[in-house]
Amino acid sequence: MSTDAVISVQQLRKSYDKLEAVKGIDFQVQAGEVFGILGPNGAGKTSTVEILEGLRPRTGGDAQVLGYDPDRQKQQLKDRIGVCLQATNLPAKIRTQEALDLFASFYSRSVSSETLLKRLQLWDKRAAFYETLSGGQKQRLALALALVNDPQVLFLDEPTTGLDPQIRLEIHGLIEQMKSEGRTVVLTTHYIEEAERLCDRVAIMDEGKIVALGTPRELQQKSRSQSRIQIVTAQALDKAALPQWPDVVDMVLEDDKRSLDVYSSRPARTLFEIMKWLDQQGITLEDVHLKRPTLEDVFVELTGKQLRD
Amino acid sequence: MKSYIALIKLDLKLALRLRTVIFFNYLFPMIFFFTIGTFIGAKGDAKAATTVVTMSVTLGILGNGLFGAGIRALQEREMNILRRYKVTPITPTPLLVASMVTGFTIFLPYILVLLTLSHFWYQMPWPHHMLSLVAFISLGLIAFRSIGLIIASVANNMQEGTILVQLLYFPMLFMSGATFPIRGPVFSVISKFIPASYLVKGMQSIMLNGTGFFSAWHDSQELWQAAGALLLTMAVGLTVGGKLFRWEKEEKIKGTAKLWVLAVMLPFAVIGLWQILGK
Repeated sequence: MSTDAVISVQQLRKSYDKLEAVKGIDFQVQAGEVFGILGPNGAGKTSTVEILEGLRPRTGGDAQVLGYDPDRQKQQLKDRIGVCLQATNLPAKIRTQEALDLFASFYSRSVSSETLLKRLQLWDKRAAFYETLSGGQKQRLALALALVNDPQVLFLDEPTTGLDPQIRLEIHGLIEQMKSEGRTVVLTTHYIEEAERLCDRVAIMDEGKIVALGTPRELQQKSRSQSRIQIVTAQALDKAALPQWPDVVDMVLEDDKRSLDVYSSRPARTLFEIMKWLDQQGITLEDVHLKRPTLEDVFVELTGKQLRD
Repeated sequence: MKSYIALIKLDLKLALRLRTVIFFNYLFPMIFFFTIGTFIGAKGDAKAATTVVTMSVTLGILGNGLFGAGIRALQEREMNILRRYKVTPITPTPLLVASMVTGFTIFLPYILVLLTLSHFWYQMPWPHHMLSLVAFISLGLIAFRSIGLIIASVANNMQEGTILVQLLYFPMLFMSGATFPIRGPVFSVISKFIPASYLVKGMQSIMLNGTGFFSAWHDSQELWQAAGALLLTMAVGLTVGGKLFRWEKEEKIKGTAKLWVLAVMLPFAVIGLWQILGK
């Protein structure tokens, strides 16, 4: 385990009867890092995270979180980490502030409910019953509960699943805030844009194994998929007159003759050549986009599956 | 300790915010109290008034224990509320203790109101051994809440839990002597194995015979027997309930573990046999 690693996992395995959900995975999470675990349903990400949270025993391998063994030092570990579960609930008639005060009493140290309510924009809802909160407010409360013990490490299990895009953006802002405070965040998700936007490093899991691990940029660069250059011109283009630009794998001219998609293995060089040619031909450029392979492309390439399978 | 206090305070608040808790703990037994009391002419008849009080208390304890503790714990597990507690450093003990204290705190005022109403409405004399009565009822309440917790522990879902509760609730209501007098040798034998019978017997012994825990042994023997059975139930119930406690609905329990429900009935089986063989 490196000196800065707050989470270390070696050959971790988890079986449920005959089903092997996690098949000997290794990874480390550094202090202050947002580490994403990406994968479709049944990939083994929730099992992995719940082992690290001390909620499930592992079948084999080693795991350490903040120096604690999640199997043998559950209570000490739970006192130091914050957890936002995927499927959870609170009593219908509990008030928002009561929930925070109750959970604060379970820990050896805690942040005041007033501070958390203001920070998570729930102050106006402090006296509201849980049953009257909207989906976004419930999720903000779940995050507030995860922060009630001022944890060093936070586990967020699909924190935006089922929420509308506006609330998802709000939650992303909160996660970025947690990162800026120096907390380590382990985030499981099946939203690509979430992983790309929030995570310093991502582990892609499939069928209980880590199939790729690295920064989102590293993973995108490793992809065999080509980048796509989309250009729109003012004048119509003649397909026969288009030159063979370097590193171009494929070109598609749309029916309007003004929209051209160019697939390239070295997009920067190709783009430069296209610009030069357009200028030489006196063709006016109206719009240009460069699209690199997304994590979703990487995922599909590695697993042959869509992320939401 | 702060988690115990916080859980007890919150459990009390939540209980008082639920109309069903108020209905089943206070109004439902009170309806029986007035209806049956009027029907059997309890006004001015100490024995009939005592029967009505015993029945109302037994109904209340069964509701508070089996539904209040058992079904509520099951609901909290089914709704993933206990799962949220599981990620914190607390153990099941403060949750179980809070459940006991809340049930007791909610029920005690009902007993005092019931006795006061019986005295002024039905002219039932005040029990000679009020402390023994309150202590015995408290013991009964905690014992039946323990049975409720065991049901919550062994039932894998709400449907199973409801079936188990009904299987216990109705025999205890109708074959314990709480609602109808036990007649005939068969029912008399069956009633000796039913936990609620001891609750009824103990209360009647205090209220009708004027026995207290510290009366002469000959007089208080039946009361001690009943108290002993309830005490054992409480001990077995809390131990097994704590041992089999499950935070998540996904953690299924093996079919054989359901036999623990029988363990809680063991004290009554032993005392029932002892009474039958002792005759």
